[in-house]
Amino acid sequence: MQPLEPLQHFLPQVWFFILGLFLFLYVLLDGFDLGVGILSLTAGGEERRSILMTSLGNVWDANETWLVLMGGSLFGAFPLAYATILNALYLPLVLMVVGLILRAVSFEFRENAENKTIWNLTFGAGSFLAALGQGFALGTVFEGIKVDELGHFAGGIWDWLTWHSVVVALTLIQGYVLIGSTYLILKTTGELQKTHYRTATIATWTTLAGAVFITVTTPILWDHARDLLFSPPLVYVFAAIPVLGLTLIVALLRSLKLRQENAPIIYTFLIFSLSFIGLGFLIFPNIIPPSVTIYQAAAAPSSLVFMLTFVGFLIPIVLGYNIYNYIVFRGKIVAYGE
Amino acid sequence: MLNVLSDTVTLSRLQFALTAIFHMLWPVLTTGMAIYLVIMEALWLKTRNITYYHHARFWTKLYVLNFGIGVATGLPMAFQFGLNWAPFSESVGDLLGTLLGFEGTMAFMLEASFLGIMVFGWERVPPLIHFISTILVAIGANLSTFWILTANSWLQTPAGGIFANGKFIVQDYFQAIANPFMLNSFLHMFLATLETALFVIGGISAWYLLKKRETEFFSRSFKVALVALIAVAPLQIFLGHLSAEQVYHYQPTKLAAMEALWETVPANTPADWSVLALPSNQLEKNTWELKIPGVLSYLLELKPTLDSPVQGLKEWAPNDRPKMVGMVYYSFRIMIAIGMFFAALMGITVFQWWRGKLTPEMMAQHKWLLLSWVFAGPLGYIAVECGWIVRCVGRQPWIVYGELRTVESASNLPPGVILFSLSGLMVMYAIFFFVTLYFGRKIIAKGPNLTLPAPRTVVQPTLVTEPAQHIPDQRPAEASQS
Repeated sequence: MQPLEPLQHFLPQVWFFILGLFLFLYVLLDGFDLGVGILSLTAGGEERRSILMTSLGNVWDANETWLVLMGGSLFGAFPLAYATILNALYLPLVLMVVGLILRAVSFEFRENAENKTIWNLTFGAGSFLAALGQGFALGTVFEGIKVDELGHFAGGIWDWLTWHSVVVALTLIQGYVLIGSTYLILKTTGELQKTHYRTATIATWTTLAGAVFITVTTPILWDHARDLLFSPPLVYVFAAIPVLGLTLIVALLRSLKLRQENAPIIYTFLIFSLSFIGLGFLIFPNIIPPSVTIYQAAAAPSSLVFMLTFVGFLIPIVLGYNIYNYIVFRGKIVAYGE
Repeated sequence: MLNVLSDTVTLSRLQFALTAIFHMLWPVLTTGMAIYLVIMEALWLKTRNITYYHHARFWTKLYVLNFGIGVATGLPMAFQFGLNWAPFSESVGDLLGTLLGFEGTMAFMLEASFLGIMVFGWERVPPLIHFISTILVAIGANLSTFWILTANSWLQTPAGGIFANGKFIVQDYFQAIANPFMLNSFLHMFLATLETALFVIGGISAWYLLKKRETEFFSRSFKVALVALIAVAPLQIFLGHLSAEQVYHYQPTKLAAMEALWETVPANTPADWSVLALPSNQLEKNTWELKIPGVLSYLLELKPTLDSPVQGLKEWAPNDRPKMVGMVYYSFRIMIAIGMFFAALMGITVFQWWRGKLTPEMMAQHKWLLLSWVFAGPLGYIAVECGWIVRCVGRQPWIVYGELRTVESASNLPPGVILFSLSGLMVMYAIFFFVTLYFGRKIIAKGPNLTLPAPRTVVQPTLVTEPAQHIPDQRPAEASQS
């Protein structure tokens, strides 16, 4: 055994974890941005919509940057995965990018516009499209990507679109709406807050329905998932996740009923974390599901070490000033003129 | 034309060109302007003269408008390597992905996180923290320039490893980062963003001075920009010259295209410099040309005759040299002309200032001078875009110079799919362009708010000692930026 051999296993694993962390932070943080964006489509009145947008004004950009971090790091750590996945998901990712672009410009244009109708619409629609594109990408995680023996994309351009991926996409949108409404419960008061207690409750049920459906169909539809799910040691993990998940859902519904302000978003974050961990176990050690492993797709060990030296050193700092940003702007948003 | 629309590589190239050219328009301003905002805020904190605070607030409005579009249009750039250039991504990902990952963690995040405090945080954090945030935003933006230019320079002059079986194996990361083009290219681009922003600021100020609006206020921004340009404009010409010399040494095909030089000029003979020409790819010569004898030898080696030959395009097979010679040739000349015009305008204006003719009262009398500044406002953008066209179109047919060809680097996508995304982006970008101009005009027409009181954190010293966290998030919705 060569002295560096353990490292060749360990380094891709570390990077799998870091990429997971970036993606997780993105889903949580931009998740509530996109959720609030989708909810803004139904917000009655300019004043309410203004509060919604103000609640995101100082954070959306940093939140979205987690996705860029993820993209850049995936490119560096697993070039093959970056190339193959993006190639396979061309259309949903273009949809996502277009949605995110619309969402971003709407912030600036709306701020300056007298007639805000168009930009309200592009803001909401952009958020929706971005979430939809991400949902289809998530669907492909279950579906898998068809590759040749070198790991290059060998499928068709519409492979990502199936009835199952549509369900996954709709569920993710529900999830974003849930996280968005719990964020608004945290950031608003009065009537607006009351509305979002209602929205959050409905979104909890719809998300739950989607999640149950995905959990049940996954082992039925895909053999490899079934093998993984029902053999030890992972069977214990996959048995624990639904139990914990349902407990958290009950706690979330209870906190919404009790009109608690901070608890709902915390429970929602925990539910997301749980689903994310489940997904992680389902995929690992693959990076291009269902067959290309992180070891096959990884960049050279020297690349991984070099990147880890700098990025690893920066992660705590980046987390630190992101948290500081939230501390500076903590508290409720009040309506204009109040 | 129909061939173009059914060719995956050409469509992917078009899409990259469109998204890169359009994206460049926004950060080129904000990166330079961030430094200007740091200067204004420093002056405000040092002098406690409220004018500087109003400057910081007014220019921040234009900054934010441009920044938002910059972030939005930057997203396709981050994903396009994988979407449209999968073989390329796989081949050079070990290095290029690392560099782009660094850009994200070091630059984007810093910029994005502290932008919130910079724009909305005036009332919520102590002045020093706000100032630090502004500095960090500027550092973030310029770090981004650094990593992008490092990555692009590596495509021009690959170093630090070897290509084996079409995959780049990195042997020395620091050598790859410090590739031959890196330092010069970064400095050239750093000054380009600064110069563009300063001429935009100077141009907008000149417009107000022409209209005799807020004369004193805009005389100040005009002069701050002018003082900075005394150093920037001449230095940029010098750096541009160094860059061209590097091209001569490292990228002979590009230099030949920049000069539309078809026949090799042998050593020990003077090389002529072409001012205008009509290059023809089919005939492999310029059908018409205006030349100044001997000048190119001076430009390249500062000697009447060259020590080494300047290779002409015909030295290479048509497939091994850039095809769009005319585009490279003219982009290069437009960039140079703008750089020279900038330096001259700066010189004349400084001269007038030195004669004591630029007091706020006398400003409006210099109608032609101010009009020239207004005219110069958008020129920086054109120069920067032209420079990038020279750099990247001139590099063709290579995506990594001498190592990897562009035609071998594109994803195998159905042309219709790229056509779909390309036309969608085109329509969207065209709309954004005009809408941004419209809103930019609106912000300028409205002018600065000179009655805005200084932030409470500064006016009432009691609040300075109070931790900002105790103030609830009372940003009024909407009016948050004004």
